[in-house]
Order: sequence, then C-alpha cells, then structure tokens
Amino acid sequence: MQTEATAAQVDVSELDLVKRCQAGQTEAFDELVTRYRTRVFAMIYNMVHNEQDAWDLAQESFVKAWKSIKRFRGRSSFYTWIYRIVMNVTIDWLRKKQVKGAGAEFDDSVQLREIDPASKTVPKADPLPHERMERSEVRVRIDNAIAQLSPDHRAVILMKEIEEMQYHEIAETLGCSIGTVMSRLFYARKKLQNSLRDVYENV
Amino acid sequence: MKTFEEKWTAWLDGQLSGKELIEFEASLADKAAAEAEKRDAKKLGALLKEELGLRALNNEEFFSHQLRERIARETTQDPHRERSTFWTVPHLVWSGATALAIFLICAIAVMREKNPGPQSEYLTQILNARVDPAVSPNATTYVLEAKKDKVTVLWVEGLQSLPVDYAAK
Repeated sequence: MQTEATAAQVDVSELDLVKRCQAGQTEAFDELVTRYRTRVFAMIYNMVHNEQDAWDLAQESFVKAWKSIKRFRGRSSFYTWIYRIVMNVTIDWLRKKQVKGAGAEFDDSVQLREIDPASKTVPKADPLPHERMERSEVRVRIDNAIAQLSPDHRAVILMKEIEEMQYHEIAETLGCSIGTVMSRLFYARKKLQNSLRDVYENV
Repeated sequence: MKTFEEKWTAWLDGQLSGKELIEFEASLADKAAAEAEKRDAKKLGALLKEELGLRALNNEEFFSHQLRERIARETTQDPHRERSTFWTVPHLVWSGATALAIFLICAIAVMREKNPGPQSEYLTQILNARVDPAVSPNATTYVLEAKKDKVTVLWVEGLQSLPVDYAAK
C-alpha cells in the first residue's frame, strides 16, 4: 500500500490521532482527513467517474467515519478501516444508481457523456496539445472499460493496481475472503485486458 | 484447495512459490502463451497506475472546510448521539439475555406457586353397555354423580323405549 510517511510514523501518530478523535477532538479528525482526503477522493472518482459525485461520496464517507470512530478498535490500520467505509458507501451508491438507471451505469454512451475527458488530467509538466488529446482519449477508454465492470470488480482491481494493496487488505476492506478477491481480480483483469489491449500495446 | 483463477492470479502477482509454483507451471498447457498474458497483465497494471493514479482533489482546503461544517452541523442537530450509541450490538445482546432470564425466573416462580386444580366434583360415565343396541341403536346414557351430595343423575338420549330395569321406583 502507498504511504505518505514511513510506516512507523504513520502508525504511531495515527493511533494517537484516532484516540484524540475518540475523545471528541475534531482537530485530530481534521488531521486524518488531510492525510487521506486525496487518496479517498481519487479512489472514489475512479469508481464513479464523476467529480461531483466523488466529492459528495468522499464527504459522506468521512462523516460516517467520524460518527463511528469510537468503534474503531485498532485491529487494522486506520486506512484499511476508513477504506472499508469508503467502499461500502461507494458500492452501495453504485448499486442504487444501477437499479434506478436499469443498467445505464454500464452503458458506454452514458459514461462518455458524463466524463469530462480533460478533468483532472493535466500533469505538472504541460504536455503538447496532441499529447493531451491522446492522453484524454486513453483516459476515456480506461474509464469506459472500468465502467463496464461490476462495482465489486472495480473495487478489487483499483485497490490492487492503484493502491497496491495486498490480497488480505482488500479482503478485509471488502469483507470477503482472500479467494474471492483473487477470483474477482482474475475476471476483472481478463475483461480489462480484452477492452484495453490495443491501448496498453500502443502507449 | 485453490481454484484455477486463484492460482492464476497468484502466479501473475508473483505470489506462488516452491512446490506450488512448479506444479502450477507444469499444469499450463501453453507456457509461452501464459507468459505473454502475464506480460499483458503487467502492462495493464502499469497503464492503470499511470493514468488513474494522477487524479487529484481540487480545493482540498474547501473540502475539509465543508466537512468540518457538516460534522459540526450534524453534531448539533443530533444531540442524542451519545445516548443512541448505547444500543450497540453487545448492549442489545445483554439486554435481551437479561430480559429472558427475568422472564424465566418469573415463569418458574408462578408455576411453582400454582396448585393443581381441584378434582371435578362430578363423575361422568357413559353406559352404552346397558342399552340394547337392537332396540335403541342411537341411544347414549350418561350417569352424573355428585359425590359430596350423594346424588346421581341418569341422562339418557335417543331411547326408543325405556328398559325394564330403568323403571323409577
């Protein structure tokens, strides 16, 4: 899993912050939010492909985390714990959206209309215009391919490939077995390889 | 026992080792094709990491500010939050167990205090044997006897004729 500080620093100070949160100190929770807001937002964004929805779901996840922080026992890392909340909130939202839209969530045309190809894609060193255009096309292809996966498969592939989480961490986050995680990874990879073969062969 | 999908995933991610790795690679029909797919999976992972890892949160401070306001608002709107946390699962289990125990204690106490009901003061007998079925096929005869008062009532239904030995004296 990615870390922004060394593991020891994160663990010690994080536990301290959590204890202060449990004592009702909102400043400590603010510190935890500052640490994880970008990664939480990015994870949700990659799941829902819409900035406003990702913002709202990230807010919702942090509010739920605050409300249930007293039940955090420290058996797992804080990040795994909050990720579990994030995944529950996001997957629930995706399932409800899927039911309401009668499957429209996985419709390519809908996804293409909803996604702003240039949103949040500008790297620090500005690419040339033709590079930017190519990059946007690649991003749309990837978003489109991910949108075709079920919420559970999306969660697994993103946690493995983007967050570099271990199987057991993913299993803990999603509340399923390691075997289920590996099986979902197998099918998610197969689908993405079929959809994106020409993209990763040429990029 | 791992399924093929689990072994394949573990193999792609370099999580197989020793005997398990040798056995799995030996079971592959076309190892060259499998290695090519492994390379594909690595490329896919790198592509996802490169493209999706760039997404950033704009207005980070505003995000935190909005969250702080929302938490403050929800905390003031929900002053009973502390009290509602009492009903956690362990508390519910303990409350249920206590209520059940109290109920059982009361039930046993009531059952012990309750005496068996008095025996009926009437003794009822059916005396079909004394009615001739040829004469009165549907007849039934009851004798009701109040022991305490030493009174006996003979109740007969469906008689076609009164037997001789039933004649009142």
